[in-house]
Amino acid sequence: MSLWHRVAWHCKNNPKIELWIMWWAMFCFYQLFGIVFALMTRVMPPPKPWWDHARIVQWFNDNHYGLLWGFGIIFLVAGITASMNALIAYSMTRMSVSRVFSYIYLAIYSLSTLPGMLLTAILLTVGALRPDRDPAIISWIYDAAFTGFVGTMGVFFIGTSVWMLAVLLDKNRVFPLWFGYLNICNLLTEIVVAPMWIFKEGPFAWNGVIAFWVDTLVFVVYTIAFITLLRRMIVREDFGDGPLPELEQRA
Amino acid sequence: MDKTTRKVDGEIILFWALPFLALTWIVIFFLFPGFSPPMSPTMSADQVAAFYRDPENLPRIRYSMILFNWFGVGIITFLSLIVMQMKRMAHRTPILAYCYLGCSTGGPALFFLADLFWLMAAFRPERDPQLTQLFNDLAWISFTGQVGFIVAQCIFLALAIFLDRQDSPVFPRWVAHFNLLIAAAIAPAAFVAIALTGPLAWDGLLSFWLRNGAMALWLVVMTVVVGKTIYRQRTQEETAA
Repeated sequence: MSLWHRVAWHCKNNPKIELWIMWWAMFCFYQLFGIVFALMTRVMPPPKPWWDHARIVQWFNDNHYGLLWGFGIIFLVAGITASMNALIAYSMTRMSVSRVFSYIYLAIYSLSTLPGMLLTAILLTVGALRPDRDPAIISWIYDAAFTGFVGTMGVFFIGTSVWMLAVLLDKNRVFPLWFGYLNICNLLTEIVVAPMWIFKEGPFAWNGVIAFWVDTLVFVVYTIAFITLLRRMIVREDFGDGPLPELEQRA
Repeated sequence: MDKTTRKVDGEIILFWALPFLALTWIVIFFLFPGFSPPMSPTMSADQVAAFYRDPENLPRIRYSMILFNWFGVGIITFLSLIVMQMKRMAHRTPILAYCYLGCSTGGPALFFLADLFWLMAAFRPERDPQLTQLFNDLAWISFTGQVGFIVAQCIFLALAIFLDRQDSPVFPRWVAHFNLLIAAAIAPAAFVAIALTGPLAWDGLLSFWLRNGAMALWLVVMTVVVGKTIYRQRTQEETAA
């Protein structure tokens, strides 16, 4: 069967199609996020917080089209974040915990897209829009964009804590216990990043070894873990109550 | 009157708030001098400052954006009515309704942000023209480029309708195709910042006229579809009761 036929068959017959659509949407979103933020816009790893106006203007000029096209893509696909939030919220409805956990997660992460991603994208787009703008203002845009991007902490801190608590309380074993503890690593990154609001150089600055590199490493490991575990959850899902059945993992 | 009938009656009240809200949106559209005709992105900082300082424009900018501030997020009531219909569909999980609900906060929040930037630009128009231009740019990029949640909502609704496999589906199938068409019409506006002139610019054919036209058409068509569905639901529940 061709790929197209297989997809069509699953859309028609797979009882888990709603979950699979959301999983693939999430999977594709993270690939796209990586391509746009690392390769196209050069926002990750971030440029230096100590640059003078002329250097900042040059950064915008060097990345002019990357910023404009890259964030155009992000503006277009931002709504996909809703599908991963919904999938994770759904994972919590499958646990033996109160529905309040999924509602909190849904509410916090619906809000998180704005400060955590789109505000930075809007600011950098506006910065790239007019290369002839007053360099002092371009420099203000640059600061606002990167402090906002790296320094958005609370939504992820509280959101991760809620997910962690749900995983640790869950008796249906939707996620393994170790993932509950991995959440602690992720929420700690939101704590140690706070000094970037104070330091302009060194390991705690927004491009520093701790505030950026260690935190991003944890985030990548965490993201790969939950993408894999959500896939496992869907494979095991039986649309019943109680513990999820252990299925043979497909080769 | 039994419990279920009262529930739907509340939805009908929210539904009939929509024509009033739509009226305010029409007033805002024509009152804001920056929309007719749409301001050009090629205006210099001094021209933008002069636009805000113009005694003819300034009160209209402020009053229209105060109205937008009040009534813009009213769209959430209508989007939530659609969520309620999605929850009636024959799905195995509430996940598509969750997706739609998540987008219902994201999209309007971004319109709200644009509204704040326009109001801030108009607050002290005597300020350095570069700053007025900055706020004006932020407003237009937020207003025009932030289509991701709207596009996603149209696609989520279309998916929900395709997967609503029952003898009498909540929405007819053409509503799904219509939503996909609207998503395609709105999508190009995401690339608004690519050019200061031409169809993608924020005063251009694609980013302004097609996008806003598509949103207006969506609103009119979906109002009729949702209204009919809610009334049919009430009749069904009354007969069942």
